[in-house]
Amino acid sequence: MAENPQAGAQAPALDAQGVTVRYGSFTALDDVTARFEPGLIHAIVGQNGAGKTTFARVAAGLVAPAAGQALIFGTQVPPGDVPRARTAGVELVHQSFALPPSFTVAEVLQFVGPRAGLYSRRAIERHWQAWLRDIGIDLPAAARIRDLPIESQQSAEIARAMVSDARLLILDEPTAVLPPEGIDRLFARIRSLKARGVTVFLVLHKIREVLAIADTVTVLRGGRLVAGPMPTAGLAPASLSAQIIGEGAGTLDLSDRAALTGEGAARHADAGAAAPRRGEGKALEVSLLHVARGQYGNGLSGVNLDVHSAEIVGIAGVEGNGQRDLVAAVAGLQPIAEGAIRIAGQSFGREGLARRRGAGLRIIPFERNVEGLSLTSSLWENWSAAQLVGRSLLATAGPRALRRLADQRFREWDLRYRNPDQPAGALSGGNAQKVILAREVDAAARLIIAAQPTRGLDVGATAAVWDALRAARARGAGVLIISSDLDELFDICDRVVVLAAGRSVGTFAPPYDLRAIGDAMVAATARPQEETA
Amino acid sequence: MMTEQIAAVLRACLFIAIALLLCMVIFAAVGLSAIDTLRGVVEGAFFRPRAMDHVLRWGLPLLITSVGVVICFRAGYFNIGAQGQFYMGAIAAAFAAEALRGTSPLVAVPLCMLAGIVGGAIWALWPALLRVKAGADEVISTMMGNFIAALVLVHVTSGPLKDPSGSGQATSSLPVDAAHRISATTGTSPIILGITALVVLLGWWLTRRTAFGVLSGLAGRNPTMVTWQGADVERIAIGAFLVSGAFAGLAGSIELLGPNGRLASGFLPAHGFTAVVIALVASLSVLATVFVALFFGALASAALYLPVMAGLPAAAIQIINASIALFITSRTEAAENLLSRWRARWKT
Repeated sequence: MAENPQAGAQAPALDAQGVTVRYGSFTALDDVTARFEPGLIHAIVGQNGAGKTTFARVAAGLVAPAAGQALIFGTQVPPGDVPRARTAGVELVHQSFALPPSFTVAEVLQFVGPRAGLYSRRAIERHWQAWLRDIGIDLPAAARIRDLPIESQQSAEIARAMVSDARLLILDEPTAVLPPEGIDRLFARIRSLKARGVTVFLVLHKIREVLAIADTVTVLRGGRLVAGPMPTAGLAPASLSAQIIGEGAGTLDLSDRAALTGEGAARHADAGAAAPRRGEGKALEVSLLHVARGQYGNGLSGVNLDVHSAEIVGIAGVEGNGQRDLVAAVAGLQPIAEGAIRIAGQSFGREGLARRRGAGLRIIPFERNVEGLSLTSSLWENWSAAQLVGRSLLATAGPRALRRLADQRFREWDLRYRNPDQPAGALSGGNAQKVILAREVDAAARLIIAAQPTRGLDVGATAAVWDALRAARARGAGVLIISSDLDELFDICDRVVVLAAGRSVGTFAPPYDLRAIGDAMVAATARPQEETA
Repeated sequence: MMTEQIAAVLRACLFIAIALLLCMVIFAAVGLSAIDTLRGVVEGAFFRPRAMDHVLRWGLPLLITSVGVVICFRAGYFNIGAQGQFYMGAIAAAFAAEALRGTSPLVAVPLCMLAGIVGGAIWALWPALLRVKAGADEVISTMMGNFIAALVLVHVTSGPLKDPSGSGQATSSLPVDAAHRISATTGTSPIILGITALVVLLGWWLTRRTAFGVLSGLAGRNPTMVTWQGADVERIAIGAFLVSGAFAGLAGSIELLGPNGRLASGFLPAHGFTAVVIALVASLSVLATVFVALFFGALASAALYLPVMAGLPAAAIQIINASIALFITSRTEAAENLLSRWRARWKT
């Protein structure tokens, strides 16, 4: 251990001194100074773009600060030197997992652990299974990473981090991918790590979670340290949420604000008399839909779903339980094996997406930068695609007129851009999503499917997306939202349908019962887990 | 839009200038006078008697093929089979010309060109189908298509269309009916100029004024996004290949009815590849392709002039061609950065 002699038990786990990080002209972290005591659970919170992930990367020694320094247990780790950081006892579990999918759990652990000589598959499986039992992680050592459900993949990541005897474990948004019960289990695991003397950093999104697990909380906003680390004991959720949101807090609806920051038990904005009456007509009817396993996921085995006009319906579920299959099937991008799909009263079988768009289907796809936009193409071309797909390929498309129309629509959506010839990749996430909204949310929309519409967006952009979808509902469109953020669904949906293992397993109405929905999300997934184990 | 095309022209000039600098270094290194060689090239290209005729003779067919290549590349398909499509067009046109021997040129010439268009399009269709239906890489299939087409050409000129009196090393067909020729052996003609102008106009219209233009441009950069918009990416792909092959085939028929006058095995072996380079140097802009194709036409014309008039090796032209090709393959990073920095400076 290359350890500073002064670094005794009293040295802070992380000592950030004026840390500043810039990406080009963008300042991700601005003069952040904070000391974190060892042996505690520290939460880092803030909006998207507040600098949380950058802070985690600085702490893990992955990113070099432009100014200032970060000491780990009193030791300076040269940035970018992962082996040295590992020796110093720091491990980072990334937001998107990075384990090789074709490896077994045992192989992954063997690979990162101390290697010596030859070994047999059986021997390493036995060895690592025993080790996993010792550290209290319930994982099949022989299972391949790609066959594990998300929650177990995360456990494998944590196990991977623990192989090198991490003393400082950093988890970047670990709860984002988990169902409510999975979050409870993760927190139990983190507490047991703490009991073993490990210092844990958690980048979190929700105040509810912060108060449930963390000893201290640190708030970042726009790259600056707003508060902390301050003890969470006796902290009022409302004051924390005001610190996270900042000046904009006053303009937000109370329940939107609670949903954005996960302030407390989820409520519903439109619960009770305030809820607008849903329309009589149906924007979407999906009955007994079966879809074979394919490029969009593991398929669907019986989905029933109705979306009335002037109604917002949410799809809740752990990611990878058929959400993508459902959207692709309704879009006509994936053949259906059985069942029926009706959009705005019209039945669709093998017709392509262009015909369905003609019936009023609009889609905000899952992957904004891949399925939603062509990042190297201009803004006006990205916007124009929707205008052109229904027409003959040789139909005249005057660029000047299209550019002017796009410009006009972008202005209506309050898009921040220089000109319509800018490439879409030059925009921030929130603005990029507004380009898609400007394209998909129009007067002729009868059914709008919004897949993870606010993922990665900051508070202002998230509120703008919600407003747009509510306005579409007010105009009489049916809206189907797929989100892994239950607070979001509870805040804006008139009904929530739970999708698990490719089946619709329950419909819930406000006031939403987090426990019951959480149970529905995991109940049906238990089976495929056992199969792979 | 306009600025984008002007930027494409400027970018092409920059590549060519850098490539010429490199060539001068090479010329000097092999003991030629760099200045004299360059002067010879410029003279051969632009300042000899009837220089413009020669530039157009070589430049116009290249331009026709390049416009097709641009359309396919914009859609994201690296169709490098222009050479084979060009040959197939010429072969189809030669069969038509043979069959129509003695008929009125008003009938024969359009029909021969139509045959060329169909021949080229068919030679682009099968790689397109392999690509969209089976996922076969079009780079491989179109390149293989070039070899096959070259061998078909050898077969046709030494078999079905063989000129029995021919005695040269290269086999060839009988000369086309003199009445059906659309230009003299060394020249160009208003007909060729007119057809080329039509092709450029058509290419510009397709890429800049149609739904196909916008959607294929998007699909070329991100086919997933276009799929999620509901566009039929397969149709766009097949359309792009067909247009590309049709233009190359048309160029083949023009070479047959025009300057060549007959089908000879292995004629213009670099035509399609030069068209690929032209399309890339022109940044896939049809307007810029006009200038770049004429420039390459000038180089081709100079290649014939150099050894005869200036006593310099024609290989000098090949070196220039090669270094331009070299620079466009490396252009993405360095040159693009340079250009964007210049543009930023002009704006501020």
